[in-house]
Amino acid sequence: MRETDLVIVGAGAAGLSAASEAAKHGLSVTVLDDNLLPGGQYFRRLPTSYRHTKETVFDKERARADALYATTGQKGVTYLNDAVVWEAPEDGVLAFARGADSGRIRAKLTIIASGAHDRPAPFPGWTLPGVVTAGGLQNLLKGQRVIPGRRAVVAGNGPLVLLVGATLARAGAELREVVEAAPILKRLAGSIADLLAMPKIVRQAADYRLAIMKSGAKLRTGWTVIEARGANELEEVVLAPIDEAGKVNRSRSRTVKADLLVVGFGLMPSIEMVRLMDCKLEWKPLRGGWVPVRGANFETSRPGVLAVGDGAGIGGVEMALREGKLAGVIAAERLGKLSRDQAASLKAPIQSEIAKVETFRRGLERLYAMPPAFLDLLTPETIVCRCEDVTAGELRARQDAGFGSTAALKGTTRTTMGRCQGRNCLRTLLALIAQASGQPIDQVMMPRPRLPARLVTIGDLLQEELPPIEMPKDPHLPRGEQVS
Amino acid sequence: MAGSVFVETPPRDAEIVVVGGGVAGMSTALFLARAGRDVVLLERGVPWGVASGANAGTLSLQVKRAEVLDLCKLSLDVWRRFGAEMDVDVGFGQPGGLRVATTDAEVAHLREYSDEQRGGGLEFEWLEGNQLRDMAPWLSTGVRAATFCSGDAYASPLLAGGSLIAAVAKAGGRIVGHAEVTGLSRENGAYRIETTKGATRAKILIITAGPWSGGLARMLGVALPIYVDVNMLSITESAPKLLDRVITHIGGILSLKQLPNGTILIGGGWQGRGRFAGMEKFADHVRLGQNLTTAVSVVPDLAKLRLVRTWAGYEAVAPDALPAFGRLPGTDDAYIAAAARGGFTFGPAQGLLMSEMILGQPPSTPIGRFDPARLLTGAHA
Repeated sequence: MRETDLVIVGAGAAGLSAASEAAKHGLSVTVLDDNLLPGGQYFRRLPTSYRHTKETVFDKERARADALYATTGQKGVTYLNDAVVWEAPEDGVLAFARGADSGRIRAKLTIIASGAHDRPAPFPGWTLPGVVTAGGLQNLLKGQRVIPGRRAVVAGNGPLVLLVGATLARAGAELREVVEAAPILKRLAGSIADLLAMPKIVRQAADYRLAIMKSGAKLRTGWTVIEARGANELEEVVLAPIDEAGKVNRSRSRTVKADLLVVGFGLMPSIEMVRLMDCKLEWKPLRGGWVPVRGANFETSRPGVLAVGDGAGIGGVEMALREGKLAGVIAAERLGKLSRDQAASLKAPIQSEIAKVETFRRGLERLYAMPPAFLDLLTPETIVCRCEDVTAGELRARQDAGFGSTAALKGTTRTTMGRCQGRNCLRTLLALIAQASGQPIDQVMMPRPRLPARLVTIGDLLQEELPPIEMPKDPHLPRGEQVS
Repeated sequence: MAGSVFVETPPRDAEIVVVGGGVAGMSTALFLARAGRDVVLLERGVPWGVASGANAGTLSLQVKRAEVLDLCKLSLDVWRRFGAEMDVDVGFGQPGGLRVATTDAEVAHLREYSDEQRGGGLEFEWLEGNQLRDMAPWLSTGVRAATFCSGDAYASPLLAGGSLIAAVAKAGGRIVGHAEVTGLSRENGAYRIETTKGATRAKILIITAGPWSGGLARMLGVALPIYVDVNMLSITESAPKLLDRVITHIGGILSLKQLPNGTILIGGGWQGRGRFAGMEKFADHVRLGQNLTTAVSVVPDLAKLRLVRTWAGYEAVAPDALPAFGRLPGTDDAYIAAAARGGFTFGPAQGLLMSEMILGQPPSTPIGRFDPARLLTGAHA
C-alpha cells in the first residue's frame, strides 16, 4: 500500500492549491484525480499534444493555470492522474482505480476537493441532442475547442450563464439569445456593495455582458427555457418570462431557432466520497444543496478528513483557490511542520481574502436566488432519469399509487440506479417527493450511499493483493449472527 | 391518497393478518386474497424494502439441496405462472444454468453433488471440453467442467416487488406499510396485533417477516433460532450480450447473470459487514475483491466492464437452512414461512402452500419436514 502524509482527492483549483501549500511546508502529498490532465473544471486545458494559435477567453487565466499545473511537478508532490477514488475501506485509507497501478493509499490526513457537477434541469426536450449543460460545454470548449453547434441559445441562472455566453460569442458561435432567470438587473442595487468585495470579478462580468451584446445576441433577465423541440435533434428553443416566485408566463413565450442550447442552472457539490465516508451533511441550497458539515479548519465530522472547494459547497474558483491554500497550511500545522504561530501568520491573510470572497458570494446569492421552477415544466413524457429512461409521468403515477418514498420509487422505477449513479436525476427525484409529500426537500430520505463512489472497471479492482479465497464448508448453512 | 395500492392504517378487524411484506408475505397474501379471503398485510417499513428487493434474483434448482428440490420446482413453476397466467410481471427468465467447477477437487465435488440431486429427480447435462465451450464460449478455460440444468431461472427482485404489491391490492388484499408490530397476544379466540399504526385483530396470523420472524414468534412464546447473513451483490453497467446462462459455482461462492437490460449481477453469498440491530450493513472491501476475482476467473470479459454499485442485503436462515414453514408450535392459528436458504426462490411456493394450508386444501408438495417444531429451542405457549 502506498503511504503519504497528505492525500488529496481532486486536482482542481482547491486540490492543487492545497497540495502546493502543504508540500511547500515539507509534507509528502499525493494528489489523486480522475482526469488525464490537472486543473479540474475551471482550469481545464487542451491536451498537451494540441496546438492552437487563436487567443481565447481562457488564455486570460494562463498565468494562474500554469502556476497550478506546476504543482504536479513540485517537490514532495506525487500526482496520480486518471485515478478514480472509489472507496474509503478504513480510516485513513482510500482505494483507487488506475489500471495496473490501482490500489490503496494510507495517509495521515485526507483532503476531499472533489469539485462539482451540473445541477440537472429537466424540462420537455432536455435530453435532445444539441442540449448540453453549461459545465459540459465549458469542457468541450476548454478541453477540445469544440462548439457542438452553430446557432446557440444559453439559458439558466447563475454566473456561469454570462461566462458561457461570452465564451461562445468570442469563440465564433452564432449566439442568438442569452437568458437569465433571476431579474438580476433589478436586484443589482441591493447586491452591488457586497459584490464589490471582488471588483475584478464584477468587471469581468461586465465584460461578459458587453461581449454578449456586441455579438448581436439578445440578453434578457427574468426569462427561462421552458421547452426544447426537434425531431431527432434540437431545432428550436421555447423561452418564456419567469417571475421571482418562479412562475412561468407561457402566454408571452417566444420560439428561437437553434441547434445548440446550453443550460446552466447552477452546480451541485460532488459529495459521493464524503457520503461514503459517512461524513455528516447539511442542506445549504445557496451552496448547491447537500454539503459536508465542516468545523473550524475545514474538518468534516470524520476526524482527519477535510473538505474544501466546490465539493464542500459551491463557492466558485476564487473560493476554491483560497480554501485549498488555507487547507494546505492547516495540514502542515496538524502534521507538525508549522508551529501554531507560524501557521497563524500564514492563515491570517488567506482568511481575510476568504472573508472578501464570502461577502462577494452573499451578494451573488442574493442576485440569483430563485425558487426552482422545473417541476411545473415537466410533462408526463419528460424524462427524469435518463440512464433508465424513467419519465415524470411514470414517477408521478407510482407516487399516486402509494410508492412515495425514495426507496419505493427507486425500487419500482430504477430511477438513480443507472450509469450516472443518480447525478442527473436524484435531485429531481427528491424534489418530486418533496412536492408530493409536502416535506421540505432536506427532509426527504437520501438513498443509502453505495460504493463505488464513481464507476470503476472491475479489472482495476483486482490489482490489489487479497487473502486466498476459502470455500465455505457448507454454503447452505448460515454465516451471520443469530438474531433470535 | 386516491388510487394508492396501500391503505394508511390497519383495520380494526381482519380474518387473516400477514406480517412481513417480502416475497413470502406478498405471495401468501396474493393467493389468499384471490381465494376471496379477507387479508391484511402489515410491513414494518417500505413493502418489499428489505431482502426481497436486495437479493440477486437467482432461481436455481441445481444449487439447492436434494431435500428442497420438490419445493424449488414448485416455486419456479409459480414464478413462471405469475407472468404467464396471472398477469404479474416479475421479470422471470429461464435460460438454464451452468454450475461450474475449476479444480480437480471441485470437479469431484460437482459429480458427487449432481449424482445426489439426480437421485432427487433433477436432470442434468454434464459438460466439459468442447461441449462446454460450444455452449458457453465466454467461460474461462479455467472452468474444468459444469453441469447444465435447463430449469435454472431468474426473476427481477425490483420488478417483482411493484407487480406483486399491485396484484395483492387488486385482489382485495390490504397492505399497510410502516406498521411495525410491537405486540402480539391471544384475546377471545383471536390474535390482537399492536402496531405503530394502531391495533388490529385477526383470526389467523401468518408471520413472513424474514429476520424479524423469530422476534415475532417470541411474542407468542415460541423461541425459534434464526440467523442473518449479510450478502453482498454488485451490478455492472449495461453491456452487450456477454453471458446467456445463470452461472453458479460448486463451491457456493458465485452467482452471475446478465439481465435483459444488459447489466450483469454478481453475487455468491460473500458477506458484507454490519449488524442486524439498526440495520447497518455495508460492503466489505476485501470480500468484494474476492467476489469479483472469482467472477472474473469464471467469465474473464467481466474485467472490462465497469462496476456501478455494490450493496448488501439480509438473508434470514434457520440453523439447518431449511424453511421454517407451518403452524407455530403450541398456537391455534399462527403460522410462519421464513428462514429458508434461498428465501426469494421459495417465496412463491411458500405463499401457495400457506394458502392451501389455510384454505384446508392438500399441499401441492409435502411440507412435513419444514415444520418449525424441529427448530424449537425453548418453552412455547
